[in-house]
Amino acid sequence: MSNDVMIYANDLSKSFGSFRALDKINFEVKRGEIVGFLGPNGAGKSTTMRILTCFISPTSGTVRVNGHDVFDAPLQVRESLGYLPQRAPLYLEMSVLEYLRFAAELRHLDPDTFRKRAKNVVEVCGLAQVLGREIRHLSHGYRQRVGLAQALIHDPPILILDEPTSDLDPNEKAEFLDYLKQIGQERTVMLSTHNLAEVEASCARAIIVSRGRIVADGPLDDIRAKSGRVRYVVSVQESPGSVGYRGRGEPPKKGEVESAFAAVTGVKKLGELPTDERAHAFELVSDREVDLRPDVFRLAADKGWVLLELHRDAQTLEDVFRSLTIGDERRNRQLGAPSDQADEDQDDGSDDSAQEPPRRGAHDRHEKTASDRS
Amino acid sequence: MRNIWIIARRDLRAQFNSPVAYVVIGGTMFLVGVLVFLIPHVGNAFMGNFWELDRASMDQMFLYLPPLMCLFVVPAVTMRTIAAERGSGTLELLITMPVRDSEVILGKFLASLSVVLILLAATLLYPIAMFVWPWNLGPLDWPTVWAGYLGCILFSSAAVAVGMMLSSLTESDVIAFFMTSATLSILYAIGWMASIIPGAAGDAVEFLSFQTRYQSFARGLIDTRAVLYFLSVATVCILVSFRSLESRKWS
Repeated sequence: MSNDVMIYANDLSKSFGSFRALDKINFEVKRGEIVGFLGPNGAGKSTTMRILTCFISPTSGTVRVNGHDVFDAPLQVRESLGYLPQRAPLYLEMSVLEYLRFAAELRHLDPDTFRKRAKNVVEVCGLAQVLGREIRHLSHGYRQRVGLAQALIHDPPILILDEPTSDLDPNEKAEFLDYLKQIGQERTVMLSTHNLAEVEASCARAIIVSRGRIVADGPLDDIRAKSGRVRYVVSVQESPGSVGYRGRGEPPKKGEVESAFAAVTGVKKLGELPTDERAHAFELVSDREVDLRPDVFRLAADKGWVLLELHRDAQTLEDVFRSLTIGDERRNRQLGAPSDQADEDQDDGSDDSAQEPPRRGAHDRHEKTASDRS
Repeated sequence: MRNIWIIARRDLRAQFNSPVAYVVIGGTMFLVGVLVFLIPHVGNAFMGNFWELDRASMDQMFLYLPPLMCLFVVPAVTMRTIAAERGSGTLELLITMPVRDSEVILGKFLASLSVVLILLAATLLYPIAMFVWPWNLGPLDWPTVWAGYLGCILFSSAAVAVGMMLSSLTESDVIAFFMTSATLSILYAIGWMASIIPGAAGDAVEFLSFQTRYQSFARGLIDTRAVLYFLSVATVCILVSFRSLESRKWS
């Protein structure tokens, strides 16, 4: 193992009774990397982080942090990392300064070093104005900052942050992510989050976990390319409305447009997008190498339809994330759905385009909230 | 070692930051005062109050202190030790600092014990007020009082360990309070039943009872078996708490 590997997990498994929270996961994180740890709720993110911090023990597998094994040298492991658990559980009756001093004492910082470090982290985390306040009187955003300050107080080579931005407002988030990039240059940072925009803003690499397994691991560009699909949005005028109809003949019916687009070569999937009465909007999906736009334009022109919109989306991380973890969401939405089937259409889905809901767009979100409510 | 002190100090400060410690110490002082000096004797000749006893002795105080400790002092002091930290999640941050589980447990034990010791120190005011200053009611047999205090200290070490153990088994401080209160009261009260139950069962009850063990101290005797008994109970309960904290790793 080279010295540059700061976190090393090999065949890491964890079971809670008969529930397998982690199933033989393998990954390495090197010095200077900022890794986003992604996954739906219950995928095993927090479990992994708790194992890395020696809060719980793995059922099997090897984990080394900064070269120390979590079984043999838990104290050395903990010394080399700063950890912010989910929702920053702090002692509410202590003041911010007292808490930081307590953390520094347990880390055996001498008073001089503590003063120096405290000055630094207080500035970085924006805590100067609340230093004397009791933590119980602070907002969740501030508590999260105190949690972060506590994790940074001993200047650790490794930072493990479990949903560090969940309670921050957008400005604080942006500030925090900037800061993360800055400190991540000589440190190893692993942060878990649901928010994909944050990963795109601050991490070069992501690990996506789903149901206790790693479904993607690598630079963001590679992950984005993983599904190999491209998405198009096409809309065709449906009624004259206030602008008048400038096409040939009558405006087309929905079924007509739909079947015509479905017949274009290279279309792997077609879904309807919600619109008002003026347009029919569809989402088309093709392989990455093909470009559907010339064919779509030609088709509309030949039919005499008015093309209101045609654009090509590169897959966003969110699309990839959804397609990689869709098995999870289905399982969560329909209790007791057969899990084998959910597994199968996890990442291909080329043969069931009819049943599969469109991956993105308001249409799908409506459906999701509706079923969440029920 | 150093970590034990850091954790104990933080816990002790937390106890005195919340009203619990003040209520417990103030409430107990008040109750002891009322029971020892104001409640007249109730039928039983032994139960006369301080004045009715008509002797220079603090026996009455040592009679009432242990039941009060079982019923509410120790449960209130220990209920939060581990249960509340587990419930609110602060345990996760504490344990992922570079500290051993054993240091966490010992630090918390010492902090809770300190609160009880502060209470015991406060009760010293009664014998001092009665027999030294401002009143001097007669020659008090101080060695008996010190033996009584030694008994109380050993008794409360065992009781605090029991409370911490029960607190480590749950996530709710309310449940911890009632479980501790019930367990300690039973361990204390079975002393009265020991004489009723015949044979080996009676001996077993007598062996387990906190009350029979404690009584010799209250009479001014230092019984090595009782010392060993209380220290063993404390050790076993501390070990169980330690195991219970460690079990989070495997569950």
